[in-house]
Amino acid sequence: MTAVIIGIWVALAALTSAVHARKGRPGVEAGAGFAWRTAKSLSVRLPFALLTAAFLAEALPVERLASIVGPETGLLGIVVSAGLGGLLPGGPMTSFPIALVIFQGGAGAPQIVAFITGWSIFAMHRVIAYEAPIMGWSFVALRMLSCSLLPILAGLLAWAVIALLPGFNPAPLPIPI
Amino acid sequence: MALKTTDWVFIGLAMAAGALCLATGGWSAVVSALGAAGGLLWIVLPQLVAGLLIGGMIQELVDRDRVTRLLGAQSGMKGLGLAAVAGALTPGGPFTSFPIVYALWTAGADAGALVAYVAAWSTIGIHRLIVWELPFMGADLAVLRYAVSLPLPIIAGLAARWLVRVTRLRVQEATDS
Repeated sequence: MTAVIIGIWVALAALTSAVHARKGRPGVEAGAGFAWRTAKSLSVRLPFALLTAAFLAEALPVERLASIVGPETGLLGIVVSAGLGGLLPGGPMTSFPIALVIFQGGAGAPQIVAFITGWSIFAMHRVIAYEAPIMGWSFVALRMLSCSLLPILAGLLAWAVIALLPGFNPAPLPIPI
Repeated sequence: MALKTTDWVFIGLAMAAGALCLATGGWSAVVSALGAAGGLLWIVLPQLVAGLLIGGMIQELVDRDRVTRLLGAQSGMKGLGLAAVAGALTPGGPFTSFPIVYALWTAGADAGALVAYVAAWSTIGIHRLIVWELPFMGADLAVLRYAVSLPLPIIAGLAARWLVRVTRLRVQEATDS
């Protein structure tokens, strides 16, 4: 995990110097301004989103869900997780904590892959708030149909990768949720 | 700072989930959820900050008008590939990406490229990987999900072209439908 954190900051340093080389200080300031505006809009939402996920993890029987989408549930578990992910409302700040809770509860890695992909493709709130008003329902239908099998495909591919790489078995972060 | 409606939605969600948690598990469950949410926030915050800054810098490096012109003129597999790369590099939420989809369409991109762009933005977006998935899901699962999702946008784009050929689904002006 430490290597990932270092990698991210190194990438940031490289990108920042690229922006500086091309646009100088004003470019870097504009980029930081974009980040600052996003951070400001997240400052209230993110803590409450994390709280929501933590409360739900305490209140809901996550263990029972894990038996439906556990690692041994195979294709059926992947299909169910893809559907559950598609029903999940809200942006990344609620979805990823919820995915983590289900992963910690005992879901299999391919099932979680299908869950996250299902959410990222179908996210209904995004369709209603942005996609349909901007692109129209006809485009929404075309895109949904074109993408409908992708979450299941992602789950199956993840399953194959884990089967082919002995010793590779992604585990959830050990945070006491 | 004035709270927006979305902030109140998150506060309301957290309060409803908190009430549910109190009703099912009592105060000890509420306290343990508060601790879990705090711990998670503490762990993901540094990576989140770096991710937001990376998004800001990418925003400064990419010339949107040029990308739009380039994509509008391309077709075939090259168009799908370019659209997928552009989608993966687009930072920010749906309020950034869907206006770009609209711009691409008016610039002449075909349905396949538009669907590949949206599929890439939602499944292999680098920004979301760095800001949300790596911190919450850990490197193993995040990298696995990302790797198996790489071919998905192309598959979605090909499916969209096929659907346009065999069905009556079309991309049309949002105000027409």
